[in-house]
Amino acid sequence: MNALIIDDSEIDRYILSRQLKQIGITSIIEKDDGLAGLNYLGGEEFVDEVPKEGFPPSIIFLDINMPQVDGFEFLEQFKSLREKNRLDSCIVMMYSSSERQEDRDKAYSYDFVRDFIIKGESSANDIADKLSGIH
Amino acid sequence: MKISRKLMVIVVLTIFEVSLVLFTLFEILLGAKLHQLNAAHLRYTVAFSEQVRDIQANNTIDLGALRRTIYNIRYQPTECLRQVGDIEIFIMRRIETYNAIELCKKDIVDANNGLTIIDLYDDNKIDRESFLEQLSILSNTFKQNSIDFELPTSKTVEFIFKLMVPIVIVVSIFIIIFIIYLSRNITTSINNVISLLSEAKSDKALDETISDNVTGELRELLIVAKARVKEELVKTEINQQLETLVERRTASLTKANQELSEFAYRLSHDLKSPLSSSKGLARFIVQDIDDNHLPEARENSQKIVLQMEKLERLIRSVLTLTRDKPQTEEVAEVNFDELFDLVRKENNELLIESNCQFSHEVDIQHPLKTGVRSLALIFGHLISNAAKYSNPDKMCRSVKIEVKEWDSGYHIDVIDNGIGIPENRLPEVFLMFKRFHPNISFGSGLGLATVKKYVGYLNGSIEFNTSDEGTTFTIILPKEDVV
Repeated sequence: MNALIIDDSEIDRYILSRQLKQIGITSIIEKDDGLAGLNYLGGEEFVDEVPKEGFPPSIIFLDINMPQVDGFEFLEQFKSLREKNRLDSCIVMMYSSSERQEDRDKAYSYDFVRDFIIKGESSANDIADKLSGIH
Repeated sequence: MKISRKLMVIVVLTIFEVSLVLFTLFEILLGAKLHQLNAAHLRYTVAFSEQVRDIQANNTIDLGALRRTIYNIRYQPTECLRQVGDIEIFIMRRIETYNAIELCKKDIVDANNGLTIIDLYDDNKIDRESFLEQLSILSNTFKQNSIDFELPTSKTVEFIFKLMVPIVIVVSIFIIIFIIYLSRNITTSINNVISLLSEAKSDKALDETISDNVTGELRELLIVAKARVKEELVKTEINQQLETLVERRTASLTKANQELSEFAYRLSHDLKSPLSSSKGLARFIVQDIDDNHLPEARENSQKIVLQMEKLERLIRSVLTLTRDKPQTEEVAEVNFDELFDLVRKENNELLIESNCQFSHEVDIQHPLKTGVRSLALIFGHLISNAAKYSNPDKMCRSVKIEVKEWDSGYHIDVIDNGIGIPENRLPEVFLMFKRFHPNISFGSGLGLATVKKYVGYLNGSIEFNTSDEGTTFTIILPKEDVV
């Protein structure tokens, strides 16, 4: 299983990828902003080159507060990108420290958003349970 | 003429008309009454002569009955004199029918004579023969009086009828025409005013139009009405102004409330992030120690220290930003050399680390007086931003502060040749918790918001210009500055 982590905090990326490795997910790509994530997934600069290792991701862990393109803007653009670049098997799990209900509702309004992990509250096993529930 | 006076004329004319009609009616009724009195006089006279004839035939004399009849006869002329007034006497004298009045007086005298004769007979002062003879003479006299009275009375009544009826008709027609004229006149002046006010005469003021074209009470009415309308308009305007003010205040309060709630959300997020990260790291450290992975445990401990430092910085920035306007900050002449030394010292590490040259140039004729501590804080943030976001591709990285004195105020330019601000994020530059460069984002996102706030404290303004060649912030401080 390929995972993509989009988060501007280096430490949070480190924590999550270490947790993922603990539950056996080793193919992990990290991006530090929504913009970098979109570019990686083939946004405006998409070129139909041979897919690299770990592409396409089957799950994206997405932060909300990011400096250039935030999580919600990413979701909006990813919606059209999914259809265009045949990424429909790719789902999103929010990964944020926000506990605001409206953020949760807004994220769940996209049908490819499957879960909402609050930073610092989920252990590696919790994440494994959530993943097995989806697949 | 005033409208009220015209109305008064109408009322007076109407009263006159009614009086004239009533007077005519009264005179005609009086004529009828006189005829009635004369008829009664004749009737009693006939009764009297019958009584006299009875005495001659039967020899019985009822003196009481005779007296009563004479009283009745005498009552008629007495009543006639009582009814006739000065006006009637005046008219009768004019048309020579005044003998009717004299006849009445004569009839009263005759009746009194008759009563005297009866008294004399009662006292046996005259004999029966002469008594009866005198009574029959008296009866004839009464009869003649009645006949003589008829003609002048009819003549008088006829005269009054013939005179007064045409007068009443003519006067009525005249009065009706005059009243119609007056009411037309009033309607016309009101209509004139209405059409005058309906026409939009932009070249003349309303006051002038009124005083030129309207007089009397209408003018007073218009002036009073105008004053009243003006008052109402002023009231309405004040009310509208108040409403607008309330709306504006409400809007600004709502906005402030939204900003506050956004601020609380962002702040709690940014405070929580390093804590959650540290919590996760601490869990790993426990695992690593258990697994004897000490180098990784050490690395993660270092990371926790960095997170805690980040948290401290954030809290300090928030305190600076949310601090109220420093009321007691003293306004002093700015000693730029001292100020720049201070700023350089505070940011020395950062400047060296990013290899950024800091220079300054001051060209002013009069010393700048402002809040020195606020200005130092503003410069500090701008210089540290310039150092943080310097362009690593450039050989000479620099930031320069230029201070110039213009007529409009002191212009302070902070010019760097850094990486600039992304074009699509320009409206967010002075907002809180905004960072535009993910790889260099060790700031809190509060720096420029703080700068803007403190420039506001100094009654100044701030603008910026940015491109990938660098960014220039321009602060304008007023000349007569009051903090």
